[in-house]
Amino acid sequence: MLISCNKLKSHIKNPEDIDWLNIWDTFTLRTAEVENVEVKGNKFDNVVIAKIVECTDHPDSDHMHVLKVDCGETEPIQVVCGAPNVRVGLKTAYIKVGGHIDGAEIKARPLRGIVSNGMCCSGRELGISDNHDGIIELPDDFPVGEDIKKYLPIDDIIVEIDNKSLTNRPDLWGHYGIAREICAITNHELLPLDILEIANNKEDLSIVIKDDNLCYRYTGLKIENIKNNETPLDMQIFLYYVGMRSISLLVDLTNYLMMELGQPMHAFDARVVKNIEVGLANEGDTYTTLDGEKRKLSSDTLMIKNGNEYFGIAGVMGGLDSEILPDTTSVFIESACFNAASIRRSAARLGLRTEASARYEKSLDPNMTDLAIKRLAYLLKQQNPDMIIASNLTDVYPKVLKEGNIILDKKTLEIYMGRVLEDETVVSILEKLGFKVTVEKDYYDVVVPTFRATKDIKIKEDLIEEIARIYGLENFAPKPLKLDLTVKELETTYNEEYEVKRLLATKYDMHEVHSYIWYDTELLKELNIEKKNVSLLGKDTNNILRDDLSLSLMNIVKENFKNKGEFKLFEIGTVIQNNENKRMLSIILADHEKNLESIYLEAKKIVKYIFRVLKNKEVTFTENVNELAYYDESLGKIINVDNNRIGVLNVLKKTCTNKLSKKKCVVTVDIDFDKYVALKEEEMVAKEISKYPEVELDYTIILENKKYKDLKEVLDTFMSKLIRSYRLVEVYENKYLIRYTLGSDNKTLEQKELQTFKERFIKHIKDHGLNIIE
Amino acid sequence: MEEKLTKLKEELTSVLATATKEADILNIKSSYVGKKSEIAGILSSLKDMSIEDKKKYGSLINNTKKEMETMINDRLEELENKSNINFDSTINYEVETGSLHPITIIGKEITDILKRMGFSVVTGPEMESEYYNFEALNVPKDHPARDMQDTYFLDNGMLLRTQTSDNQIHAMENFGAPLRICAPGRVFRNEDLDANHENTFFQIEGMVIDKSVTIENLLYVMQNLLKEIFHEDVRVRLRPGFFPFTEPSYEMDMSCLICGGKGCPTCKNSGWIEMVGSGMIHPNVLRAGGIDPNEYTGFAFGFGLTRLAMMKYKINDIRVLNSGDIRYLSEFKID
Repeated sequence: MLISCNKLKSHIKNPEDIDWLNIWDTFTLRTAEVENVEVKGNKFDNVVIAKIVECTDHPDSDHMHVLKVDCGETEPIQVVCGAPNVRVGLKTAYIKVGGHIDGAEIKARPLRGIVSNGMCCSGRELGISDNHDGIIELPDDFPVGEDIKKYLPIDDIIVEIDNKSLTNRPDLWGHYGIAREICAITNHELLPLDILEIANNKEDLSIVIKDDNLCYRYTGLKIENIKNNETPLDMQIFLYYVGMRSISLLVDLTNYLMMELGQPMHAFDARVVKNIEVGLANEGDTYTTLDGEKRKLSSDTLMIKNGNEYFGIAGVMGGLDSEILPDTTSVFIESACFNAASIRRSAARLGLRTEASARYEKSLDPNMTDLAIKRLAYLLKQQNPDMIIASNLTDVYPKVLKEGNIILDKKTLEIYMGRVLEDETVVSILEKLGFKVTVEKDYYDVVVPTFRATKDIKIKEDLIEEIARIYGLENFAPKPLKLDLTVKELETTYNEEYEVKRLLATKYDMHEVHSYIWYDTELLKELNIEKKNVSLLGKDTNNILRDDLSLSLMNIVKENFKNKGEFKLFEIGTVIQNNENKRMLSIILADHEKNLESIYLEAKKIVKYIFRVLKNKEVTFTENVNELAYYDESLGKIINVDNNRIGVLNVLKKTCTNKLSKKKCVVTVDIDFDKYVALKEEEMVAKEISKYPEVELDYTIILENKKYKDLKEVLDTFMSKLIRSYRLVEVYENKYLIRYTLGSDNKTLEQKELQTFKERFIKHIKDHGLNIIE
Repeated sequence: MEEKLTKLKEELTSVLATATKEADILNIKSSYVGKKSEIAGILSSLKDMSIEDKKKYGSLINNTKKEMETMINDRLEELENKSNINFDSTINYEVETGSLHPITIIGKEITDILKRMGFSVVTGPEMESEYYNFEALNVPKDHPARDMQDTYFLDNGMLLRTQTSDNQIHAMENFGAPLRICAPGRVFRNEDLDANHENTFFQIEGMVIDKSVTIENLLYVMQNLLKEIFHEDVRVRLRPGFFPFTEPSYEMDMSCLICGGKGCPTCKNSGWIEMVGSGMIHPNVLRAGGIDPNEYTGFAFGFGLTRLAMMKYKINDIRVLNSGDIRYLSEFKID
């Protein structure tokens, strides 16, 4: 929102005491974020009021004129001008030779052979309007030769305030509210507004509110015998500076009031007004707004109706047929207050956010409507001294919003502020902001003005915010939390996730990735996978939430295959299964087809390693029952810890892998991380070791049409009290190298015992139909 | 005699030099200093010598034998230590290293700092109920934040959380007061993607509840947190802000690290960078968490982990964070 400092000054007593250029840093700290401060009026100098005293056609041009202008000097000055509105007697802005505009110096120079000594300026050239149709036309009573800046409010400071930071401050959507804040910040006095009191000695207007939950108040006034003539230049400049276009006096006045008080108003041509009704539209009806657009209405769009006709979309925009025209002589002025949420919904649905709707959706003070009309009437009368008030100030206000009060106890204030404030300080701050305060021994009884009560001031904490910010947030100093030596770790999840991530990245050189919580539906289609799960509303693609973390990573796998033949990824993320959040760890090993065996076995090792190192637990793999069609039927394994399922290991089916990249293979591991976190780490206990040496014996066993699983069964049935452990060391083709570690607690093993072991073992293997290399 | 002994030593030197196997040297040892060697013979002939000659040659012969033994042993050791491994020791492979996601790295760093200040790290669900995401946080039914265009609503009546503030309520319910928690997590907003906008990003929430917690405690935590993160003496300031779940609410700015607060394009010439939303916990939120606002006060803060990571690691396109592109992510080594 743009704010004019000239306008603010008009509402404050002794405004010259305030440093208007630098107050805005403080404003940012006290009230709302200032985004920009722009000094206006410094784009030109040496522009004076001048009168055209002679006007002749330029002999060598079809549109230029040669003027003589009186600018207060002894002789009139010759100026060549191309504007169409030049005429003898017109007062305009003239820039002297030697003056500057937009950084360029004005020089005497010939235009088509005739010397022009300076230039007459349009409003746009002066930067005070966007009118460039002709030179600016100044009022007749402006004195010739005077600097134009003395007579028009061209010098100004325009401040841009971040709208977002005003969301909860309906009172700051007009200059008067901002002026009130400045007064509180700088300890100045806010001046009352000049208004026109209206005697209620005429007829009431016909106004009906159908739903007082949607329209809180509707105030109307009919004024006759007016001329909708041109808006005074100073008001035009103000409106231009704050981002509005000047249209005509009546329209400009309603906008002016909106910029001044924050109250949106509407002026209807009174000729067409019959009886006003505020109510909902019929679903599907259409209505053409002022901007000429045909709008589709719905059954919760609040409308202003006139007789049986729609007259305007309440709080958003008026219609074409009630538009103020140049020949309008009587107006019906609307000043109303609507339900914020209703206006916001209407504006959003229609895609039509206007200055009015932006204000209404902040929850305006309903007690402002009559003040705004009286103020408008006052300003209108200054331009139309003969205007006639033609109706009562008709005010439909079913549920009057009264001022409420809040008890603020001094103890709470002290806790929040971390200090004790003097009563005078508290009272002074609150009163400057418009509150009324009664000081009691232990508390303040604070009456909240209605312009603050509609939205942001409801509880004592809201008052503390007011006091703290005006007191000055920069006066607070960082203070450490008081000593608390309680040992606490409420949850270990985050840390355990980090441990696993770090292990995978350091031990296995894997890369951590993040992917979306929804499937890439395009890829699912490509892989011919159908997924049904919780879905996003209002979206057709990428709308199905993932239930398989590894699968949701396949688009990342696909992208990386474009650059790399082999890679290792992991993610710990959320999936949705059976309507529940579930934390999962997914590990993905991707490689060339020929390396499937090696990455498959590595995946198993990684899983075992994680649990051995971080949980001191052993993992077992059992056959998968092929739950998911897109994984290979024979290679899937269930991962178990303590005989409970904790995850799965899979190989992406060939048909799917080929869609990602040709001649590749993808091994996936999914571990239920909630279960992982819940799994208690096995206590570590030191074990007794024998003081006698151990012996390692290697055997190579040849498997024909059998698997390690079968060999393991055979090995597990071989008993000897010498066995400490055995393990698979290496596999080469069908030769499996097994290493036994033998030992005894009470002696060094003798050669004879080893020989017996060896013979028994070889016999055991052979008895089970396996070959062993002796 | 001297000549003879010198000759023996010379002879030994030359045979040792040509011998390259342990066995050969052992043979040399036996033939030069063994029982039947020449020197042994000379030594044994000593007893037949005159007293004068004994005096003259005794120590010389003995020393020569010791010298010869030493020569042989040295040669043996030399041979034992001589590496017979022959490879290209100039080969120098590049190391492959893994990587952690930048969010993980910065999240760990921040939670570690907060832990040192006594915070516990908690986590919460990404699929959340309207109650925890909005209602309990004092966001009224018709609040713009609840609009379809900002929030991903789900067909099961739930939604994807739009902020990590849901953890405030979960933590109060689970652990009660007093409380000191932080909660990093992933949040979702229905936004179109570009270099600065993502629909999926990370935030971290912090919350402290105790008796007599003040605004100044909040200031302390934030100032020290930012100081530790950026390893610089950053200044912070509070501005009035507006969030439904805090009252009073504050925007917290950090002095711009690029220009040191003088003003530059990064900070839009203000010298400050908006970093953290914060405030004193709204009494309605305390109540929703089952905590009596008359007994306890607290503060809460939240800020974008993703944004912080981008600032810290100078990431200029937010989209790479969820791209899974290893070429990019592998730059982020484990801290």
